[in-house]
Amino acid sequence: MEKAMEIIINGLSTGAIYALLALGFVLIFKSTGILNFAQGELCMVGAFFCYTFATLLGLPYVAAFLIAIILGGLLGAVIDFLFFRRLVGEPIFSTIMVTVGLASVITSGAGLIWGHDVYSITAPFTDKTFVLGGVVLGRGALYTIGISILLFIVFVLFFNRSLLGVSMRGTSEDPHTAGLMGINVKKIHMLAWAIGSAVAVVAGIFLADQSFVRLPMSHTGIKAMSAAILGGMDSIKGAIVGGAIIGLVEGFAANYLSGMVVGGFHFGDVKDVTAFSIMILVLMIKPHGIFGKEKVERV
Amino acid sequence: MLRITNLEVVYCDIILALKGISMEVPSGKIVALLGANGAGKTTAINAVSGIRKTIDLSIEDGSIEFENTAISDKEPHEIVSLGILQVPEARRIFADLTVEENLLIGSYSLQDRSKFRQASDMVYEYFPILKKRAGQYAGYLSGGEQQMLAIARALVAEPKLMVLDEPSLGLAPMIVAEIFQIIERINREQSTAMLVVEQNANVALSIAHYGYVLENGRVVMEGPTEALRENKDIREFYLGLTEIGTQKSFRQVKHYRRRKRWLS
Repeated sequence: MEKAMEIIINGLSTGAIYALLALGFVLIFKSTGILNFAQGELCMVGAFFCYTFATLLGLPYVAAFLIAIILGGLLGAVIDFLFFRRLVGEPIFSTIMVTVGLASVITSGAGLIWGHDVYSITAPFTDKTFVLGGVVLGRGALYTIGISILLFIVFVLFFNRSLLGVSMRGTSEDPHTAGLMGINVKKIHMLAWAIGSAVAVVAGIFLADQSFVRLPMSHTGIKAMSAAILGGMDSIKGAIVGGAIIGLVEGFAANYLSGMVVGGFHFGDVKDVTAFSIMILVLMIKPHGIFGKEKVERV
Repeated sequence: MLRITNLEVVYCDIILALKGISMEVPSGKIVALLGANGAGKTTAINAVSGIRKTIDLSIEDGSIEFENTAISDKEPHEIVSLGILQVPEARRIFADLTVEENLLIGSYSLQDRSKFRQASDMVYEYFPILKKRAGQYAGYLSGGEQQMLAIARALVAEPKLMVLDEPSLGLAPMIVAEIFQIIERINREQSTAMLVVEQNANVALSIAHYGYVLENGRVVMEGPTEALRENKDIREFYLGLTEIGTQKSFRQVKHYRRRKRWLS
């Protein structure tokens, strides 16, 4: 029982990171129609930003956290301005290839600037624990879950209540008509990229707390994509639920399935496989995900 | 208020869609722009709304002025902020958003946000059915309600000029009559100028003050509505009436078409 509790909390904290990354995917995909394969790289760069300000420059952790988010948002806006503004109306294949290229460029750039070593950020909650019902848990997990939930609430309110949020949803549905309502579509696209990158940075910083700051942490992006697909590529709610599910399933698989022997077949470390297995299953059974909208096209 | 002078518009650098049209919408009046399919009606209002890049349209010659400022090189959102709102063809409401959210987006160009409540109350007063449907997804509305929502969405921005692209498209005659009554009421009470693009000449001329007839990218006839209604060619080709004024019967298998008296 206590073990299950521990797995759930830790699974949810990993899930929160997936959910944040998936949220970035969904935001950018919904608003601009671009599937951003560089989402994991943005997350990695975010962790390096925070590392630079918190560890190298010795700023307080919260200040470094906020500066990293702002820089991440700016990076997203610049990416939109430099590349994707010109690609509006181009086939989806070319935009995806640009994001794939961008992913490599960001990784190499980060390698040039920060090197290929493994670093760590010392957060106020690093290595501190708390006890809940007899279970000892890392405080970082609690912060990750708490701040993520807070962010999700903010986003849901933003997209359902505010003029800008509703306009972003309208623009994603029909950019042409949104323009006729006086919405500057380019500005909305830029905003989507900025918010999408900023949440990726938040995810990166939390991920750095759970492991380390290093270049390969960008691989989390692909796992987050399976979270987005599970929830439905065009649903913000789906990204959150999908992320939580993937995190939990991964946690349980790592603890109960790994190393299991079934009829002479020995399971290895299945943790990293689960996310992709779920993705493949979802694509086979329900390609639109849990909350995704099935598009019926009239001929 | 809106003045188009010798407008020449080309699609994809090669297709000449408007061959120099001139027209004017005075403030507070309803102007009808009539014409068959492919006459250039939608092209004309797309040029007014500044939609050029996405449909590869370019203005080769002539000018569009709104309240004495040239708008032919402005972006769509800048034109909206000047007070020209378009009700697009085939409604184009945001199906995934609720009626209320559709109106909220419509009010995007309202600078003074405190006005939104008042404006949406005004809109609900014209379209009481939308108030009942406020929380519903717009995609589930009937065709007539969607057209009402499209008009309401433009009206909530308190436009100076409303450009309506075929508000009668795909609607039952009864609904068309109802919608045109509301359009006329809006014009009368809010003194919003209207440019109504229509194929349904009869209903458009019933509310307009002035009309233009477009054919093959040229204005072939213009005049006050009364004059247009009396014109023999308009009666024959656009209203489907004979010289005596009765509806033309298609039982007369052999009917000789009048030759149009204009060059097109």
